[in-house]
Amino acid sequence: MTSFLTAFFSGTAQGAIYALVSLGLVLVWRGAGIVNFAQMGQAMFTTYIASQLIQHSYSYWSAFVIALISGAALGALVDLGLMRPLTSRKNSQLLNSQSMRTTIPVIASLGILGVLKALAGIFWAGEERGFPSPVAPNAIKIGSTNLAITGFDLFVIGVVFLTLVLTTIFFTKTGMGLAMRASALNPEVTRLSGIKVGSVRTLGWAISGTASSLAGLLVTPRTNLSPNTLDLLLIVGFTAAVVGGLTSLAGSVLGGFILGYVISFVNVYSAPENVFIAILIFLLLALFIRPQGILGSKEVRRV
Amino acid sequence: MLAISNLVTEFASVKALNGVSFQAKPGLITTVIGANGAGKSTLLRTISGLERASSGSIKWFDQELTHKSVESIVRSGIAQVPEGHAVISQLSVGENIELGGLFRKRIARGDLAIATKEVYELFPILYERRNEAAGSLSGGERQMLAISRALVSRPKLLLLDEPSLGLAPLISAQIISIVNDLCRATGLTVLLVEQNANTALAVADHGILLALGKVVADLPAKEMIADSSLRAAYLGY
Ligand SMILES: Nc1ncnc2c1ncn2[C@@H]1O[C@H](COP(=O)(O)OP(=O)(O)O)[C@@H](O)[C@H]1O
Ligand SMILES: [Mg+2]
Repeated sequence: MTSFLTAFFSGTAQGAIYALVSLGLVLVWRGAGIVNFAQMGQAMFTTYIASQLIQHSYSYWSAFVIALISGAALGALVDLGLMRPLTSRKNSQLLNSQSMRTTIPVIASLGILGVLKALAGIFWAGEERGFPSPVAPNAIKIGSTNLAITGFDLFVIGVVFLTLVLTTIFFTKTGMGLAMRASALNPEVTRLSGIKVGSVRTLGWAISGTASSLAGLLVTPRTNLSPNTLDLLLIVGFTAAVVGGLTSLAGSVLGGFILGYVISFVNVYSAPENVFIAILIFLLLALFIRPQGILGSKEVRRV
Repeated sequence: MLAISNLVTEFASVKALNGVSFQAKPGLITTVIGANGAGKSTLLRTISGLERASSGSIKWFDQELTHKSVESIVRSGIAQVPEGHAVISQLSVGENIELGGLFRKRIARGDLAIATKEVYELFPILYERRNEAAGSLSGGERQMLAISRALVSRPKLLLLDEPSLGLAPLISAQIISIVNDLCRATGLTVLLVEQNANTALAVADHGILLALGKVVADLPAKEMIADSSLRAAYLGY
């Protein structure tokens, strides 16, 4: 029973982080039709920034906020500086074929990933370092009995829960949220409504950058921070996004939590080295049973 | 006044518009008819900035539109209802309407509320179904929604691309008559594109016949209706 509860709570906390990564990927995919392979590179970079600030005796929370802002700025910069010029009308000869149109941004995002890793090597010597958390990673005690959940797990779950509530309010209750959904669903009708779809897309990149930056801050107290530690997270987050349907924000979050439980239960009841095989099997099963994902729409219409 | 002169729009090697010139007078309905592939949609899409003209000019009063972005054209009072009842089916009816007025939310919040109320009065069925997905509407209701989305932006020029396409004759007549009433009551300028000439010309002041990217007739609507040889030659009926 204890091991079940341990697996459940740690699955929830890990799943919360995967949900953020998956949400970030889906935001960019819906808005721009691009799978951003640089996403966790951006998160790695902003977490290094936070780590650097903390070493220079900034408080955890100010470093936390600056990292999130840097995440937004970096996301917007990737779009404005690279993706938008690459996919603009001026390059129409280059983008004539559908395969080029989908390949070029992928190569570009891999390029950014490489650049960010190289920069981390230059600025921080690529060293592996710890990253602090504001809550101790010990099990919570009531009297003398250890509960199956740690204070850190609770912290992660709380922060992600708050983020998801704010995201939901943004998308369903604000005009900008409506503009973002509309731009992703039908850019032409949205432009004909007088909305600057390009700027809305950049905002999507910025929100995605913030979400992944947050994921970096929340996962590194457990995994440590190095230029490569977050690569794994991208794979899990991508699987979660596919399982959730790639086009649905709610689906991406759900997919994240499902992956959290799968990984955590395999870890507890089987062995950590089986995690990857489990993810793969799970992905294949999900694709066979429901190719459009749990909450994805059947017709994937991207123009 | 909308004044189009020598407008050319090309796709690869096809000149979809090959030197189009005509004028649409303010407060009136100008109907553009033409067979499938004549260039009607390209004309409207070039006016609203979705396609770039390779040469020629589009003047709306004293503004030149050919180099403006879609958003700034829409914001200057030109709204297009695209071909095929273009609404966003995954959004609710209410959200589609809200979308049309979103850019005015900060600059004219009060008037936006009035404009929204007006379209719901014009199409009460949309008010009843405001919380349902736009995808669940019938073809006619979708067209009403597409028109409402355009109207809440308070356009001065309304571009309608084949609003009766795929609708039952009774429904399309009803929609065209609502547009007609709107034009007469508010002074809205309308550029109406149709393949089906009869209902569209009946409400129009002026008719333009387009064939293979060229204007082949530019007449008062009454004369165009009367000229059966013109229709026989270019529309085949
Ligand atoms: N996006 C496009 N790419 C290439 N050719 C196009 C495109 N849009 C329209 N055309 C061509 O331009 C011509 C006019 O099309 P269109 O304006 O849609 O006509 P209509 O609306 O009168 O049926 C047609 O020959 C059509 O094939
Ligand atoms: Mg057409």
